[in-house]
Order: sequence, then C-alpha cells, then structure tokens
Amino acid sequence: MATYGMALDYKNCINCKACEVACKEENGIELGAEKHRIWVGGNEPDGIWPLLNAASAAFMPSQCQHCEEAPCEEVCPTHATYYDDNGVVRVDPDKCILCSYCMNACPYDARFVDSRTMTVDKCNFCSNTRLARGETTTACQNTCPTKVRIFGDLDDPNSEISVLLRTREHFTLKTHLGTKPKLFYVM
Amino acid sequence: MRVEVSRRRFLQGSVALSVIGGASFGVTSLLAQEEERELEVMTKTGTGKAKFVPTLCEMCVNKCAAIARVEDGVVTKLDPNPMFPKSKNMLCPRGNAGIQALYDPDRLKYPMIRVGEKGEGKFKRVTWDEAYNAILNGTDKFPGVTKILDEEEDNRSSFLFCAGEGMAEHTFKTFYSAFGSTNWLNHSSICLQTVASAYGVTLGAYPAADLENATYIIMAGANRAEAIVTPDTMTLFKRTKGRGAKLVCIDPRFTNTAAKADKWLPINPGTDLAFVLALTHVVLKEELYNKEYVEANFNDFEIYKNHIISNGYTPEWASKITMIPAGEIYTIAREFMQHAPRAIYYPGRRSTFATNDFQLRRAMAIFQALSGGIDAKGGLVFGKKLELGSHESLEPMYFQAQGRAVQQVTKANGKIGYDDCAIATGSGSWIAWRNRFLENRMPYKVRGMFIYKHNPMMNMPNTKKTAQMLKKMELVVAIDTMPSDTVMYADVVLPECTYLERTDPVNTFPGVEPSIAQRNKVIEPMYESKPVIEILRGLTQKIAKPLFEITKKHDMDVQDSLANLTPAATVVTDENATVPSDTNATVASTTLSAEQKEAEVFAEFDISKPFLESQEEINAHLVSEVYGEEAVTALKEHGVFYPNMKQFYKQTSVNEFQYYPEKEKAYTINGGAPKTASGKVECNLANLAEKGADPMPTWKDEYAFKVPKGKFRLITGRHAQFTQSGTANNIALHDLMHTNYIWINARVAADMGIKFGDEVEVSSKTGKTTIKAYPTEQIAPNVVFFIHGFGAESNALTWAYKNGGNDNAIIEDIVEPVYGASAMHETNVEIRKV
Repeated sequence: MATYGMALDYKNCINCKACEVACKEENGIELGAEKHRIWVGGNEPDGIWPLLNAASAAFMPSQCQHCEEAPCEEVCPTHATYYDDNGVVRVDPDKCILCSYCMNACPYDARFVDSRTMTVDKCNFCSNTRLARGETTTACQNTCPTKVRIFGDLDDPNSEISVLLRTREHFTLKTHLGTKPKLFYVM
Repeated sequence: MRVEVSRRRFLQGSVALSVIGGASFGVTSLLAQEEERELEVMTKTGTGKAKFVPTLCEMCVNKCAAIARVEDGVVTKLDPNPMFPKSKNMLCPRGNAGIQALYDPDRLKYPMIRVGEKGEGKFKRVTWDEAYNAILNGTDKFPGVTKILDEEEDNRSSFLFCAGEGMAEHTFKTFYSAFGSTNWLNHSSICLQTVASAYGVTLGAYPAADLENATYIIMAGANRAEAIVTPDTMTLFKRTKGRGAKLVCIDPRFTNTAAKADKWLPINPGTDLAFVLALTHVVLKEELYNKEYVEANFNDFEIYKNHIISNGYTPEWASKITMIPAGEIYTIAREFMQHAPRAIYYPGRRSTFATNDFQLRRAMAIFQALSGGIDAKGGLVFGKKLELGSHESLEPMYFQAQGRAVQQVTKANGKIGYDDCAIATGSGSWIAWRNRFLENRMPYKVRGMFIYKHNPMMNMPNTKKTAQMLKKMELVVAIDTMPSDTVMYADVVLPECTYLERTDPVNTFPGVEPSIAQRNKVIEPMYESKPVIEILRGLTQKIAKPLFEITKKHDMDVQDSLANLTPAATVVTDENATVPSDTNATVASTTLSAEQKEAEVFAEFDISKPFLESQEEINAHLVSEVYGEEAVTALKEHGVFYPNMKQFYKQTSVNEFQYYPEKEKAYTINGGAPKTASGKVECNLANLAEKGADPMPTWKDEYAFKVPKGKFRLITGRHAQFTQSGTANNIALHDLMHTNYIWINARVAADMGIKFGDEVEVSSKTGKTTIKAYPTEQIAPNVVFFIHGFGAESNALTWAYKNGGNDNAIIEDIVEPVYGASAMHETNVEIRKV
C-alpha cells in the first residue's frame, strides 16, 4: 500500500525522447505515432527570426496524470478502469469494451487504443512490469539522461518525492478541473 | 506555423507508420534467395527468469554503459548501467532502441559474393570459406587479393583500408598494419579532425569540459541537447535556465540547445572565428585576462596580442561579419572573464564546418587559456587516464610496400606542403584521397579496399564521386552489420554481428572520473554473423600463406633471408634440453632445413597471429597485467572497473550515484599548465607558416558569409534520435521521427508557396535530393538545415530506403586546407517545390 506519484523537474528535459522508447521497450507498447503511453510536448519559440523567445520553447513531458479524482474512472461503465492499491489508475483489458468514454473524458489525452487487444491502454507506472519485479523506478525515469523524473511514494514523508514537493515550488496540469493529478511539475 | 504542440498531433501529419507487425514488404534483390521475412519487431516483456549482462552501447560513438535483460536467449530490454562514470545512469533513445538493431530483419546474415553488376546489389549467399576464397582468388566478376598483389609486385599499399569509429576499429587496424598497406582512412577527416588537432597543437590535448562546476558556458556550433555526448549532455542541462550555470548558445538555428540556453544568438554560418577574435580583442584591450596565468603559461603572448589589436578585430568589426551585435560581444567577453576560471568556451566535437575551422578552434583554445580555465575545476580539464596493458600486434616489413598515397609538393608561395592540405595525419583526408584516386593522381595503383563498419556512400560529401570510387576499385570487401549503400558496391560482404553479440576490446575512459569499461557479449551471434576478430582470424588464416608466396616472389629482403638465414637471428630451444638455450640455439639453427628456414621467415609474415586469441582472453591480459584479477572479474560482472570502485561507488539519490568522492576527482593533473611539448599555450606556430597555413588565427575576407540571392546556405547536423546513417533503418527510432525535414524560414517558405510536409528538391553543383519541408522561424531566411543520415539508396533497407533527403548528395567536396577535413557548411543550394 502506497500512493505513487511522480515529480517532473521538467526544465531538465531536452526532448530527446529516451523515455518514450524505454516505455515502449519495457512495456511492450505497439509501435506507431498514436500508440504512446508517454510523450514529450514542445512549442516552437515565440517571435520572428532572429528575435525568438527561448523561454517560450519549453519541453513538457506528459502522460496519464494518475488523478486522485480521475474522470476516466468515473465514466467507465464496466469498471475496467480502477484505482489499484497504490493509487495508480489502471485498466483491466478483460473488462474493457472499447466504448472509449474514458478517452473522451480524459482531459490530458493520455489514453489510446491498443490495436492488438482492442482495449484502451495508458501509463500504469510500470506496475505490471518493473514494479512487479520489485524494481523501484519506472522505465522512463531510469533511462532519462537529464533525470527529469522522480517516482515514489507520496505517503512516505521521507521519500525523495515527498521531500522534493515540500521544498520546491511545483504545479499540476489543469488544476482547475479538480482531477487532483499525481504528476507534479517542479519549477 | 506551429507544429509539435503535442507530440501526437505532430506525428499525425507526418507518419503513416502506425501498424508494423505483420505488414509485408517487397523482397529486395539482396535477399532474393530468402523466404519471406518475418517482421517480428514488436517488443515484449516477460517477468519470468532473466539474466542481466553489462555491456556498452554502440548506437553512437559515446559508449554508454547498458545492462541487457535476456529472457530465454532473447534480449528484452536495455537499461542504463549506473556504475559507469562517463554515462552515469542513462540511455538515450538510440540506446534504448539498440534491441531493434539486434533484431533488425534487414541485417546481413550470411557471407555473400557479388553476382550482378557492381552497385546493383545482386549477391549470392556463400559459406565463410567460399567468401574467404573469393577474397583470395576472386571470381569471374572480380580479381582476388593474390592477383592484384602479384601484378602490383607485392605493393601492399595497392589496398586501401578504411573504418568507422568503434571499439573494434583497433582490431581492424591491426589487420591493416599486418597486411602492410600504408593507406588508412577513418572518420577523422569527416568528423573532429580539425577540433582535435587545433586543441592538440595549442593546448597539447583535446580537453574535456567540466560542465558540472562551470558557471558560464559559451556553446557555439555545438548542440549538446540533440547531439548527445556523455557526460556533457546530462550534466549541463540540469544547471541551465537560472540554476547555476549560464549558457550562451551561438548557432545559426534555434536548436534544442538554444531552447535550454539562457541566451541564444544566431550567427552567420562559418563566421564564428570573427566572433572569437572579437571576444579576444575585448579581453586583451580591457586587460581582463588572467595575467598571472598568461605570464606563466603562454608562448608569444605579446605577438598574439599585437596581432589581434593591430588587425582591429573589434566587436564592431565582428558584428558586421557575424550579425551578432557588438554590445553582446562586449558583454559575453566581460562575463566570461568574471566567471573565470569557472567559465568554458565549449570545444565541441563535430565535423568541420568551414574552411577556417582549424583556425577557429585555435582561437577558441587561446581565448579559453586567457581566462586561466585550463586544467582547472569548472574549466577545460585534461583528466586522468587509467592505463591498460599491452597487446602484441604484427607489423611485417614489406620491402615492396610503397609509402602513403600523399605527395609532398612545393606550394605556390614556395613553402613545402602536401598536395591536398598542409599537414598529413595518420587518419588521412578522405575526400582528398578519394578525389585523387578518381583523378588518377596517385603515385601508384590502388586497386582494392577493405571497409569495416564504415559507410562512405553516406558519410562524406559528394555521393556521386564515392560511387565512382567504389566502382573503380577492382576488389571491395565490406564487413558490416547492415546492407548499407556502401555494402551494395561490395564484391564480398562479410556479416559482422551487432554490438550485443560480441565482446570488444576493453577500453579506458579518461576524465575527471576515469574508468575502464568493457563491452561484454550479451547473446551468441545470430545467423552466420561473427565478431570482426573472428572474421579476421578466418580470413588471415586463409590468406597468410598465399600472400607470403607473393612476398617471396617479389621481396628481395625476404629472398635474402631465405637464402642466408644466419644462426644469430634465431633462437630455437629444445624443451628437453638441459644445456643453456643459447648454446642449444646455435647448434639447432645451423642444422635448419629449407622448410624450417621458410617457417622462420614466414613467422614474421604470418598475419593471422594477432587474431589467434579470443577477445575475452586479450582483454583479460590487458587489465590483469595492470590491475590484477579483480579488474577482470569486475569488468565481467559490472562492465566497469576503476581502482577503489567498491569503496567509492554509492547511490546518492533515486537517480544519482557517486563514482569518486570530491577530493579524488582529477580536475587538475598538470598544475594548470597546458600539455604541449613546451608546456606553454602556443599562440604562434611558426612551423605552420612553413607549411603554408596561418601561424596565428587570422580572419580573411574570403571567409565572409555570402549567399547569392535566391539561394540558401545548407547546414547539417546531428540529432538525439538518429546517429548518422547507422540508425536510419531502426524501427523504434522511426517511431519517433519517420523522416528528416528541411528547415526553411517560414516567411520565405510562404513566399515560395511551400507548406509543412511539401516535397522540395534541393540542388547544388554536386547533385540533388528530395525532402519534405518544415517551414519555421527557427532559421535565417538564407539558410536551410536538415539532419544527416537519411535518403539511403540501398533497397535492402526496408525503412531507410529512399526515405528523406541525403545531405551528402548535395554537399560539395571542399577540402579544409590545414588537415584536409571536409568543410561541410560551405555549400549554397537552390530549392524548388516538386
């Protein structure tokens, strides 16, 4: 029993996409542009050459936010989407009927269809792969060259993520929707 | 136009590759004899039993440490190996995609010999022995080594040897040395020749940058956010953006490094030299340099100072050339010196951009030295190197072997130089050599070539000329893992296994935190592929004796030795002898039969000798000789070794590790002095002047950036998701970016009616290529850019074939005048929508 979350020191991100490949290789995700559990978003800088604003060109790693109040869980008619014991939002492929309500409900565009199983897939913090084998990091965190990601137990006051969130300013995405994400972007 | 707002939306417009598994692709002529290929590229993960093997990545040149997870003989995941100080605890996207290089269905699987026309790509599958025989004796399509060497009277230099960068390059070079040729070419002259040499002659070594402790960094013409170099990339970007290190990025385009910088200033391509000279001017004029350091460590400082001041290299002067505002140059020069010695003008390590590249790098090195930030924490550092033991190689003396195919000439100004460039190095000048060969300007005939892990068709300017060279070579032997464009021109193809299927020569990695690391074999080689050491063992055992016969026929020294083998030259011992061996030797050698004599002489020419031991055995000697058995075991179990590793290495956070305690780090090894022979920073190199090159960095009008109206300057570069042409067929990387795009200024593109994704033809004097457009404000109106490595013509590469544009089809072959490197950013191109 834990409450897993992830802090993203997103200013470290160089948009190399190592995390995307590591995720696919670790979790056996289908190839293809639409089949991503995690991704890095980027903006072109504001301005007109040669006057460009570097600060506007941030890279934002994103994925399922593992909301405490997850809209996808709320709308799922078959309870295929559920919270596991560690607060991770999971999908049971056996129960999924591909109604795609969850895909529409998710404000973070974090879900996609696995065309092999014809069910909805998303990030599960490597729960059935790395964590199941007893490892303590996710694939994306482990491989990241600039160490953007810190995964850990929010219930443990001494965990690195808890300490970090106590000591550094951070924000969550689309906070106003009340989804209570467990992905924290560190400033 | 704004693209890549979210990753998905960007790819939606550009990638048609959503379902791979089960799709069928046309069977290529190369693999025509095969059954339809099974395209099993889906990744899979088991949670059952697995073994973990520490290895080193070879998806680029960095050699980061990885741990391979192997389940039922299948590599299912590559994870970072946290124990290696160089790569710390990371694998980039290419490192992660290494599995797809191993299981690439297009891999070379069997030895093959050419049955079609040269370059046509029609091959026949043969056994290893048949392939070796074809190299030795030829076929009806091509001559063998014996024919060529006999006709060239044992001139071993009638064969060219070339190799790409890699841990086993050394093994192949051992073959070159034993074979006795003098013609060796590698990546240097199309890579970092000028930067390495310029820092070498100025500071005595090509230094590393202590980005962990620097507080001010100028990164000009290097793109560490995309051209990933470990540990620099990981270290630097944790500290920029107001977090301890100020990064000033100077680049003609707005790169990912620019996005992570604290200041980005665009510059006209090829004018960085003017920028550095102006920084130097400010520092000298305002006396901001470290006087104590200069006093103690500079040669010819006053001459250099006078040179800079009297030439009027002011910021105002540089501003017109570079387009960087003079005020910015003043600020950067002053800030740099305020932060010194924790300030770095980053040396970079990529290709030569402009013909003035050598002088640029010299100016950078001298500017850095003026700050005193040499061999110092937070500056440029030499670092410590852990020595390895030695391994015997064999370099027979072939009397008939000619010297290297470079000619020393008297230049127009009466100075002595070489016909291609001022200084001829061991790595040679690739394009100068190729062009001389094509233009029949060789001092003797070169008729065959051995290529290892090298793709000249894709890797150097003017692809057309490279194709002509390969066609003109009578015997081309290629050792590679993939059916590259170059392999298509081979007569004999020898399939090497990938890096995950072989143990490579152990290597030492110098730095502030030095270590030794080893690439361990993860799984047995697939198909009939072999590691290069085994390929060379088989080949040399086949050809050593027949080649010796040719030497006997033409080599007077050998003939003499066989006729007059003197007793003193031999030591033959009898294992059962009780008498001292020297006495015994004399007795034995006087009674040598003709066969014994021949065997003795042959022993000096037995080129199979260096390859007899396995790589594992050789590595064990190399490390145990210096560090004992402990090191051998550590390299096997952990992939990494350094003294006191057990004590020093520990995890410090969920992501980070300590390799050396702070006081053990080798920031300073030379007391802050440069490593030149004189022990001084060399400002003024008189011997360069003798060879017709400027003795001090000097700006010349011809260096100015000029693009005729209606044309564009083409610049090229590296990328975080692809490594040149070597990864162009990797399916997991295609998943991230399907093809390359040409960056063109958004307003210019709009005027030309070019939209995102439109096909455009890019052409120059050299040739043309077709590529998709990416209109953006991140590049100047008269400059275009696309990444190197795409646009392969080998139809045996399912995903790389005719995918994107090939820069080297259009880059002109311009030789940099000092070291003969290829100047990559000197080509103007035209663009039209197709």
